[in-house]
Amino acid sequence: MFLRLVALDLRLGWRGLSAPVQDKSPAFRAGAVLALVLALHAVAWPVGLYLGARESGDFPALVARTGALFVLPWAIASPMSALARLLAQRGDLDLLLASPLSARAIFPARLLALALEAVSPATLLLGPLADVCALQGRPHWLALYPALLGAGLIGAGLGAGAALALAFALGPRRARVVSQLAAAAVGGSAALAAQAAAFLPEGARWRLAASLPDLLTLPERAALGEPGPLAAWVALALAGFALAAVALAQPFARAALLAAGAYGGAGRAEAPRFTADLATALRRKEHRLLWRDPWLLSQMGLQALYTLPIAFILWRNGGVTAQPGVAFAPTLVVIAGQFSASLAWIALCAEDAPDFVATAPATRRQIERAKIAAIAVPVACVMALPLAGLALASPRAAAVAAVCGAGAGVSGALLMLWRQAPARRGMVLRRHSQGKLVALAEHWLSLCWAAATGMAALGHVAALAPFALVVLTLWFARPARAAIIPVFTQG
Amino acid sequence: MTPALEIRALRKSFGKPAVDGLDLTVSPGETYALLGPNGAGKSTTLRMIAGLLPADAGEIRVFGVDARRHPVEAKRLVAWLPDEPQLYDKLDPTEYLEFVAGLWGVEPALARRRADELLESLGLAEQRRQRCEGFSKGMRQKVALAGALIHEPKLLMLDEPLTGLDAASARQVKDILAARVAAGAAIVLTTHILEVAERIATRIGILARGKLVAEGTFETLRAGRADATLEDVFLDVTRAA
Repeated sequence: MFLRLVALDLRLGWRGLSAPVQDKSPAFRAGAVLALVLALHAVAWPVGLYLGARESGDFPALVARTGALFVLPWAIASPMSALARLLAQRGDLDLLLASPLSARAIFPARLLALALEAVSPATLLLGPLADVCALQGRPHWLALYPALLGAGLIGAGLGAGAALALAFALGPRRARVVSQLAAAAVGGSAALAAQAAAFLPEGARWRLAASLPDLLTLPERAALGEPGPLAAWVALALAGFALAAVALAQPFARAALLAAGAYGGAGRAEAPRFTADLATALRRKEHRLLWRDPWLLSQMGLQALYTLPIAFILWRNGGVTAQPGVAFAPTLVVIAGQFSASLAWIALCAEDAPDFVATAPATRRQIERAKIAAIAVPVACVMALPLAGLALASPRAAAVAAVCGAGAGVSGALLMLWRQAPARRGMVLRRHSQGKLVALAEHWLSLCWAAATGMAALGHVAALAPFALVVLTLWFARPARAAIIPVFTQG
Repeated sequence: MTPALEIRALRKSFGKPAVDGLDLTVSPGETYALLGPNGAGKSTTLRMIAGLLPADAGEIRVFGVDARRHPVEAKRLVAWLPDEPQLYDKLDPTEYLEFVAGLWGVEPALARRRADELLESLGLAEQRRQRCEGFSKGMRQKVALAGALIHEPKLLMLDEPLTGLDAASARQVKDILAARVAAGAAIVLTTHILEVAERIATRIGILARGKLVAEGTFETLRAGRADATLEDVFLDVTRAA
């Protein structure tokens, strides 16, 4: 039964992942997977050669440490967030708990699925690298697979434990919010830690690394293929997973019962604010729904957090990008564009009551205009502080970033407005899988705005060139040219 | 007197005809039950009247307003309640009613008073500050109904309005609807619970394959068969179609 439940979870996970090609034939899907695997290996090949040339010295340890720094927090954060979501949204939980299966049968299967789900992105990314390194004569790289599995197993135990502890300590309703925020913080800690480490002087960085206890270096040494640490890491992971599976099964069942019906408690204390204005009503509704979904906000915040290291790298690289304005202004503009596109997607495509709103006595254009106006406020709020910070370093760059950020925000929102594809709210981070060409256009617009911002910050008239490309892209994406960018909706 | 709803030669096709030359008239103060087997075109008809689906051909007039040419004016007079309530889980009932009142431009003080009355009469006063995410299907249905009524529509289109309601709630809803009809509103409802149609509808229309195959009061539909139930009539008519 354990294996059957794991297989069911994995199948559901795979269906979610392969949704864009779900309606294709099995042969097409197999071909697509094969093509993806081959493409990833082809991309990994030169990286493998690059790593091979630096196999001696401390470089491999640095790579493994960096990898561990990103993979381990994610391996904890992902199950933590997923378990909190599972308790809240239930899914098939009620069906499983109502069946004659015991919690000891259900929980380990779910925990294993969470573990595999947590490390699957890293495996997809790093697996081909390990394969090509092995093919290039360095088989110890294959240790990456068991090392990643170990990270998933340990992370799942820790993440699930934390989520359940929060559920009992705070009650399921608060725990859901706190778990999701904590998971986002844990997940984002890697990016922050990497940035903090990058700011340390070279010597201090190595002294810090050398001072780490052996246990903390275990995952990195396991990933490097050292037999002893690898065996110890896998053994530790299996033991930790078994312990968590046994010890947390009953708390999981209790938390599930506690969470059932725990949602929908007191909503607010403020007095009702009725309005006769359609735009105000829509704006308030959008803001309330956003504000009350911390998971959604935290995920969008994480997106921004993961974009920031690029700016720091550019800044520290020296040369023309050593000016804070040139390094940070384009990044802020990219963040504004992404944030605006995400919010526009939520407001326009992920409307919970689209038919009901459509029965209101207003034109579609009035409703869409009000929704676009509603997202401008959160975008402005998010951008205000970084822009103020940038203004202290470079007022000119801040002004350029403000103008281009507004432009990027408008272009991102317009793209979503013109290429609407209905979906569920929670899919915001996977919205790019809905329409590949729309996703491409969105990234292309971000790139163009970043280039325009960088050049404008340097005072180059050439900034007009990427700006012209933005206008051209939007011109092609406008509704009259619907055939140019088709939307591939999920089935 | 201007009919509350007047439909002439209405057509909609999704490859094959879903609504096929429908003629229908509903007067103010009337409750009209639109019955039919699954796929007969009931929901499609309601969605076209609500302005959610463009008709291929035909006329729809709501209190004399041409709904195809002036949809916004028509929508001011209409409320549509789908079979699956469309709510926002993160809003509470009062906030939901605030939102709906804003969409229909109801004057704030009036909207506040109506919201209080509706929540009270639907037995939702205690839950007015609880988010809808934890609500049962029946409670969600009642919140959606309150939303449909807050702008005091003159024409109510209700798709399976009593589904999921317990006996007491169903009675509350029926009383509220009866009060609206007494005040001059018209109701078009669909239901698979034929007893509901038999009990609350003043007239009944039976759709089959997009066509109105029978229409009249329950008495005229029975056509002298004193022992026949609406179920008997419905099965006879739809089988014959």
